[in-house]
Amino acid sequence: MADTMNHIERAMASLQDKPVDRLCAYPLAMGVCRRLVGDGSMTYKEWVSDPKKFAAAFIEGQKYFNFDFAIGLMDLSVAAGDLGATVRMDEQNTPFVTDPAFNTPEDYEKVHIPPANKGRSGILVEGTKLFVDALGKDVITAGFLEGPLLTLTQAAHAEKIFMDMYNNKSAVHKALKSITEYNSEMVKAMAKTKCAGLVWDYLWGSYSCLGDAEYEEFEGQYARKLNELVVKEGMALCIHNCADLPHLDTQIKQFKPVIYSMAHYPLIPGSPSPKEAIDKGYADNCLLAGQIDPQGFIRWSQEKMQKTTMNLIQEVKTSLCARGLHSRYVISSGCEVPPALTTRMENIKECMDTTVKYGQMKC
Amino acid sequence: MQAQDILASLEKAVITGNKADSVKFAKESLDKGIKALDAIDKGLVKGMTIVGDKYAKHEYFLPQVLLAANAMYGGLDVLLPHIPKEDAGKKVVGVIGVIEGDVHDIGKNIVKTMLTAGGLDMHDFGKDVPIENFVNSVKNDKANLIAMSTLMTPTMDGMKAVVDGLVENGDRMKVRIIIGGAPTSQPFADDIGADMHAINAQEAVKKVKGAI
Repeated sequence: MADTMNHIERAMASLQDKPVDRLCAYPLAMGVCRRLVGDGSMTYKEWVSDPKKFAAAFIEGQKYFNFDFAIGLMDLSVAAGDLGATVRMDEQNTPFVTDPAFNTPEDYEKVHIPPANKGRSGILVEGTKLFVDALGKDVITAGFLEGPLLTLTQAAHAEKIFMDMYNNKSAVHKALKSITEYNSEMVKAMAKTKCAGLVWDYLWGSYSCLGDAEYEEFEGQYARKLNELVVKEGMALCIHNCADLPHLDTQIKQFKPVIYSMAHYPLIPGSPSPKEAIDKGYADNCLLAGQIDPQGFIRWSQEKMQKTTMNLIQEVKTSLCARGLHSRYVISSGCEVPPALTTRMENIKECMDTTVKYGQMKC
Repeated sequence: MQAQDILASLEKAVITGNKADSVKFAKESLDKGIKALDAIDKGLVKGMTIVGDKYAKHEYFLPQVLLAANAMYGGLDVLLPHIPKEDAGKKVVGVIGVIEGDVHDIGKNIVKTMLTAGGLDMHDFGKDVPIENFVNSVKNDKANLIAMSTLMTPTMDGMKAVVDGLVENGDRMKVRIIIGGAPTSQPFADDIGADMHAINAQEAVKKVKGAI
C-alpha cells in the first residue's frame, strides 16, 4: 500500500499517538550508509573523520532507503578520544579506545573539558548540521551523544570505574561532573544545528550492570540535568539503550523521553520483547523503537528479514491495539545496523519496504 | 582462629569484595596448615559461587561482581603457588580472550572468573587478541578449552578464522571451543564450527563443565 502521509507527518502523528497511514520505520543504519556515497569505497575511518562525508552517508541513505528519521550516531568513542584516550581507527571497523585517558582516581579528578567545536566532537556537530540542513525539511532529525557514564567508561577502564564506584566514589563523581559539563556544551552545540531531537545513549542503565541505586547515583542525577537542558535548548529528548535489561521505569517513566530505542535479547530471561514493553505501558507516553536483531541485517536472507519484519509488525499492532494505542512504535533495529562491509543493504531495504507494505494500523 | 573460621572469612572476603582480607586470610590459612586447594575451594570459590548466584538474581550488580573477582584473585595469588604440582597438572586448561579488533572485556573477565571458580586453570589472553594466539594455544598453552568473546560485529569473523586455523593445524579435535558476547548466538557458533555458545558466565560454566 502506498504511503499517504509524508515522513514528518507520520513521525509527528506517531509521537502524539494519532492515527497514521503506517507505522514509522528506521533501522539504525548510519555508518553502513557510507557505502552508498560515490563509488561506495569510502572507508569507515574516512566517514568518521570528515563532517561532509559523515553527512553524505545520511543524505544518500535517505535517498536510497526512504527512512522516517535521520539520527546522527557516529560511534561511542568520539568524546573519549577528545578527552585524551587513544582511539584506534581501523579502515572498516568501528573506532574503539585502546589506551584510556584516565588510569587512576587522581586522573579522574583532572578531567579537562574538550571544546565542542574541535576534534571529533567538532566533526560530529558540523556533520550533524550538514545533514540536518539537507534533510530537516523531509524527516525528523536528531543529534546523538553518549551519556556521562558511558563517556567516562569509554575514556577510562570501565572495570576500574565500576570498582571505583565503591573504592573511590568522590573521584568518579568529579569526573562525571566534568563530563556533564562537556555534555552540556555539546547539547548547546547540537541545538545550534537545528536538529529536532537529541538522542542520549544511556547504555549502563541495565540490570546486567547496575541496580537502581547505583544507576541513579552514577548516571541518573547527571542525566536528569542533561535531559532538562535538551528540552530547554528546544530539542526533543530521545534515549537509545541497546542493553539487555534496560532500566525502563527510570529511563522512560521518569526521564520522559519522546522516543526510546531499545533492543531485545530473546535468550536473556527478562529482556523485554516489543509486546512486553507495550503491555507494561512503556509506549503509553513514549514512541518506542526496536527490536529487530541487528545481526539479521548481515546474516539473514531477504526472505527471513521480510518474515521477521512482518512478525514484528503484527506483534506491535496487536499489542498497541490491545493497549488502545494507535501508532507509538517505530519498526527498527535494536542497535545500530552493523556498519560492516558484509551488511546486506537489501535487508535494510526489505525492512523498510515490508513496513511500507504491511505496516498499516487498523485496530 | 579455627580452620573453619578462616575458610568462612575467605568466603566472606570474596562476597564483600574485600581484597585485603582475602589476601590476609589466604596467608593465614597457609600458616594454619590448611591445604591451598581446600582454601581455594572451600573459601574463595565458595564465596565466588555465592556472588555468581546473587548476580544471576540481580541482587548483586557489576561493581560488586568485579570487586569480588578482584578479591578472589588476591587470595588466589597467595594460594596457587602452594598447590602441589601433581594436583595443578590435573586441571583443565582454558585460554580466554576478546577476539582481535575488539577491546570490550568486562564480560570476558567475568566468565574467566567464574570458570576459574569452577576449577579450570584459565590463561587470560586479554583483549584484541591476534587470531594466531588462539590457533596456537593447544600447542603453546596445552589448552583443552578456548573461550572467545566479542561485542563488535565486524570482528565476529575472527572467531571463524580461529576455528579454521585449528582445523588446518590439526588441533581442532583436541580442544573445546565456546564463544560469547552480545552479537553471538548458538546458530552462529554452529555456523563457524564452535562447540558452544553461552549467554552469560553462569551458562558458560555449566556448558563447559558438561563438555569437559
